[in-house]
Amino acid sequence: MTSTAEQATGSEQSEPVAGGQGVGGLVQGSSRGPDERGRSGPRRRSPVTSRAPLVLLAPAAILLLALVVYPLVRLVVISFQDYGLRAIFTGQAGFAGLSNYTNVLTDASFWPVILRTVLVTGAMVLGTIVIGMGVAQLLTRLGVAMRTVVSVVLVLAWAMPNVASSLVWQWLFQPFYGVLNWLITQLRVFGDHTQDNWASHPGQAYTIVLTLVIWQAVPFVALTLYAAQSQIAPEYYEAGALDGASTWTMYRAITLPALAPTLLLVSILSVIWDFNVFNQIWLLTRGGPEEATLTLGIWTFVKSFVSNAYGQGAAIAVISTVILGALTSYYIRRLVRSGEEDL
Amino acid sequence: MTTSAHVGDRAVHVRKRKPRIVANTIAIVFCLVWVFPIYWMVNTAFKPADEVTTMTPIWAPLHPTLDNFTRALTQEGFLVYLRNSTIVVVAAVLLSIVVGFLASAALSRFRFRGRRAILVGILFVQMIPSGALLIPLFLSFQTLGLLNSYVGLILAYVASVLPFSIWVMRGFFVAVPVEIEEAAKVDGAGTFRILWSVLFPLVMPGVIATSVFAFIAAWNDYLIAYVMLKDQGMYTLPVWLAGFSTNKGTDFGGLMAASVLFSIPVVVFFLIVQRRLVSGMTAGAVKG
Repeated sequence: MTSTAEQATGSEQSEPVAGGQGVGGLVQGSSRGPDERGRSGPRRRSPVTSRAPLVLLAPAAILLLALVVYPLVRLVVISFQDYGLRAIFTGQAGFAGLSNYTNVLTDASFWPVILRTVLVTGAMVLGTIVIGMGVAQLLTRLGVAMRTVVSVVLVLAWAMPNVASSLVWQWLFQPFYGVLNWLITQLRVFGDHTQDNWASHPGQAYTIVLTLVIWQAVPFVALTLYAAQSQIAPEYYEAGALDGASTWTMYRAITLPALAPTLLLVSILSVIWDFNVFNQIWLLTRGGPEEATLTLGIWTFVKSFVSNAYGQGAAIAVISTVILGALTSYYIRRLVRSGEEDL
Repeated sequence: MTTSAHVGDRAVHVRKRKPRIVANTIAIVFCLVWVFPIYWMVNTAFKPADEVTTMTPIWAPLHPTLDNFTRALTQEGFLVYLRNSTIVVVAAVLLSIVVGFLASAALSRFRFRGRRAILVGILFVQMIPSGALLIPLFLSFQTLGLLNSYVGLILAYVASVLPFSIWVMRGFFVAVPVEIEEAAKVDGAGTFRILWSVLFPLVMPGVIATSVFAFIAAWNDYLIAYVMLKDQGMYTLPVWLAGFSTNKGTDFGGLMAASVLFSIPVVVFFLIVQRRLVSGMTAGAVKG
């Protein structure tokens, strides 16, 4: 869609022959002339244009080098250093070899944290995508008024700052006065839950974290999928109806294949976002009870900023980045490949 | 919206009309479930204290009051936190958008060596866990004395918002047809002239949408501010809000009122740019 426009721009700009000398440039471009002139011509004749991208990029490059690239390099360096409180005060951190990594890898929490992070991310993504697909499908079957109502509700949930929604969740599930404790008790299926402190039982702690994250993540997925779904030409469904296909068959044979690229995109974005969830878990459970909801993100934070073991925190952060990179490598590869025509 | 609604309607007309009832019922149930937390936040915010903590829930305030809001607003420091948040977020967004606008122009309108590498790098950066950058930034800022300062927090927000802004604004640039630029060039306009008076007005809506998104991301940040700010006088609103319950025991009326106040600007901004945002975030990343 965008690639043609872009290539056109690209070729336009890479031969900066237009500008003030449009006609001359055109002549030169078409005839090519002697080899030497053809090569040095553009560079010599339009210095402003050829330097322009560098000038435009320079401020961003300086900021990104200082604030992203350098810190990333430093993160890796720190992960090989004995960087604790002492290093903070003296400013000197000794080389620690692989000890941060061996400490982290042999930590009793390590494998449970990895497994937990992957499973929790999986559960969040799966829940979000399944509900999101359902809501997108629902939106196509509603009248204009009802669809507007659902969209507004979705946008409201999406827009809530997650610090605020975490506090609302605390209140909904508050022991004694939490309205959801009361509702669940009224259902008379699960017994009396009015006094439950949800954050203090592993299963319940997961319930509140997962419901919060999924509640907030569904809107983006649902609205994006709906936007993609409404691009499908109705003729396909008309043809399907004529052939007597059932709703489910049409969904599987027409809707799903058309949605596939968008579905892949929102899944991968969800993996990235859910893998990195911090606020909701930290504010609801602080990784507890015990370490029941301790994920990689929380562990990195606790090691670095609670225990001041920055070296180990950095090692965990490096490991997290590698795992996330592996989980999303397919997406990155796809983007880089598509980059040959689009980037 | 109008075109997609139209297509949707046509698709529905083809099918039977009967499922509308089923669909509407499901939609109502879905809306009730999804809006409930927000309803409960607002409901609680308007209740007097004795209606907040009841064993049996009260579904609408019997004696609606603004006490919770005044308590939250007049609480010591609220205006200070509001000012801190505003200064830091506005500065970070302005810096990121101006710098990002120039960079995205370069990355979409020019072809040069290393361009693809830069774009892939920008994508990769967005995949890094937020906590990962925080450790080295924290330690560097410690050395430079930038912890607990506006400048430090602004720079940290630029680090998290700038790559995203470049990527999204580039998508909006790419959508502008080249012909317009060529026409300006034929008329003899220089590169920066074209950028400023031809491209900028065309990309303006995208720049606004990106700014709003950057604003929301920085405004909502809790983790970075929580780590960087030690002095309570420097707190931003999310840090204050997250500490609200522990400071005040169980003042859930006040807490919910504060949550409402904190969320309102975000929700308003969000409603304005939401539609553009969906296209902006998926543009360039998914090929239809």
